[in-house]
Amino acid sequence: MIEVRDLQKNYNGVTVVNIPGLTVQKGETIGLVGNNGAGKTTFFRMILDLIRPTKGEVFSKGENVRSTEDWKQYTGSHLDEGFLIDFLTPEEYFAFIGKLNGLTPGDVQAFLDRFRDFFNGEILEQRKYIRDFSKGNQKKVGVAAAVMSDPELLILDEPFANLDPSSQIRLKNLLKDLKRQGMTLLISSHDLSHVIEVCDRIVLLEKGQVVEDMKTNETTLQQLESYFNV
Amino acid sequence: MIRLLLSHQWKESTRSSVWQKNLAVNLVLGFFMLLMLLYVVLLSVFLDKIIEWGLPGKDPVAVINGVMLYYFLLDLGMRFVMQELPVLSIQPYLHLPVGKGKLVHFVLWKSITSMFNFLPLLLFIPYALKMLPEVYGLGGAWSWVAGLFLLTLVNNFLTLYFKRQLAEKPLVTVGFLLAVVALATLDYLNYISLGTASGAFFQAMGQNPVWVLVPLLVLVGVYLINYRFLVAHTYPEEMRVRKQSRIDGSAEIGFLQRFGELGTLIGLELKLIMRHKRPKSTTMMSIFFLAYGFIFYTNKMYTDGFAMLIFPGIFMTGFMMLSYGQFVPGWQSAHFDALLTKRLSPYTFFLGKFWLFVPACTVAYLVTLLYGLMPNIGGKIMLINTACFLYNIGINTFVVLYLSTYNKKRIDLSKSASFNWQGVGASQFIMMLPALLIPILIYLPFGLMDNPWWGVAAMGLTGLLGFIFHRQLLGLVVKRFQQEKYAIAAGFRQA
Repeated sequence: MIEVRDLQKNYNGVTVVNIPGLTVQKGETIGLVGNNGAGKTTFFRMILDLIRPTKGEVFSKGENVRSTEDWKQYTGSHLDEGFLIDFLTPEEYFAFIGKLNGLTPGDVQAFLDRFRDFFNGEILEQRKYIRDFSKGNQKKVGVAAAVMSDPELLILDEPFANLDPSSQIRLKNLLKDLKRQGMTLLISSHDLSHVIEVCDRIVLLEKGQVVEDMKTNETTLQQLESYFNV
Repeated sequence: MIRLLLSHQWKESTRSSVWQKNLAVNLVLGFFMLLMLLYVVLLSVFLDKIIEWGLPGKDPVAVINGVMLYYFLLDLGMRFVMQELPVLSIQPYLHLPVGKGKLVHFVLWKSITSMFNFLPLLLFIPYALKMLPEVYGLGGAWSWVAGLFLLTLVNNFLTLYFKRQLAEKPLVTVGFLLAVVALATLDYLNYISLGTASGAFFQAMGQNPVWVLVPLLVLVGVYLINYRFLVAHTYPEEMRVRKQSRIDGSAEIGFLQRFGELGTLIGLELKLIMRHKRPKSTTMMSIFFLAYGFIFYTNKMYTDGFAMLIFPGIFMTGFMMLSYGQFVPGWQSAHFDALLTKRLSPYTFFLGKFWLFVPACTVAYLVTLLYGLMPNIGGKIMLINTACFLYNIGINTFVVLYLSTYNKKRIDLSKSASFNWQGVGASQFIMMLPALLIPILIYLPFGLMDNPWWGVAAMGLTGLLGFIFHRQLLGLVVKRFQQEKYAIAAGFRQA
């Protein structure tokens, strides 16, 4: 699904991402963990062709993401508020995204009905612009919009941050559902237990380098905790 | 304490990313600002000569005294539209052990630094020092100036108060505005004469400094009203003058839905314009600029030639495109990452912009056709404007879009519009030049060979060709955009 070759990004001589090779199979669920500044977001941005790599390439389904735009057809993503159009109401935003993905208003409505639980009555029919929502609710809008096109690949940057405990659990269940459907997931998170629960494979970044790449099992949490323990 | 607050304010403005990042732009802007101020001072120095020339036989001092009240009415109107409320900056101090009263005084005093308060000083002090000493004596001249400045401050605080009441008790503000309008109407209908009152009052201030007490007392009164109001309303959510955004369902424009993806994009852009102050006022300006032609069309020196008619033609039919378009895609900097990752090709993105500009130019063009009613030159204006319109939609659209790929400065749409230079970069200054000069260059060889109409036709034809081949031209823009998009996106991410 995703193949990274010799990927590097430097800022003023400092290497922030340096991944010689990483392959993501279709249907795999990968959790990206690492402290602040480990290069998680930069890595995601290069997969989404938002940052020009200093060196190396990212291939999505065998095609360089920089040379075609085909990956947009099957990739859903939400990294930060920059992915939202904040002067729209959530309804308008969903309608806009639906339109870009060729969904009819009926499709959009059906999709939103599925998310009624996740939204917890705080997103729809609020008569507010997205910019007036709390960070947590903005995140819900972003995640929902990313899932909306029923993508094959879903990329989320810290989806659990800013969410209340119930919403975190709902999101976890949602991601597990998507995994069961065969969606490929790429998720970064600071919440180790959540990410281990959702993902089959954990990639640990430190200063832009992959220091650990493992399948999750019973001891993963302990391993990670001992790594992060200061 | 006040000194500390002042130093924070200073840091806030010097450390704002806009100020730090483009020193060059600030220098250029500063230069133009100085130039403008110089013009104001010069105007002031020659005010008496101008009045003698415009109204021969009248006494300039009496004329000025007579128009002062009108000037202040106009000033009040301008302030209402453009002056900003210096408010939110105290929010981080509210939870600290600082007296509310102190903060409110600070906010009020800070408002005095508004440019609006210095303009009248520049405009009238040189005049007062040149003309008034021989009429009122030096002391009289200074008391005249003092009264002027106090009235300026009265206007300042009136604006602050009533603009704030607009959110709190709108009826108070509406009542105040109605009273002002009523006063102006009564004056217009000759029931009362503001001019006479103004003349008498300013003359009295010049002759007897005691009269300065009148504006002083009014000022103290207005200041206290402001103070009391603010002390009672120091809660951030009450001080914010943003109206509670009420949204009436989904405001889709049904007509646009028929154009599929393109219509959706244009609808998005229209919402962006309607829901933010700065793009809205930028667009509104283009309505005022439709009257720009009168400056040129009423002057025989211009209407005899061609080049000086092409200039307003391009400007009027394309103003919305030029002024709004020069910040594309900066308007969308807050959600630029979304546009890059969602299922949307850059070509469609730019095609959407193109089809936003074309109708805008068309509407402006249709309005400028009204100039065709002007006697003698109407036909000529109509033909030239037609050529200019074609050139705008065929060539200038692409000039604007191509140069827009040099825009890498974020625009924060929640900031207010007037005097907001955020997002202004060197490309904005350069952009207007090709848009206005190239059409004249196309015309020029024909004009020099004494075939001006051929030149106009060549311009129109170029535009028409550009419009027909808009897909190819857009392709060039997209190619350039693909190279620049990383730099643009990185620039937009910087707050």
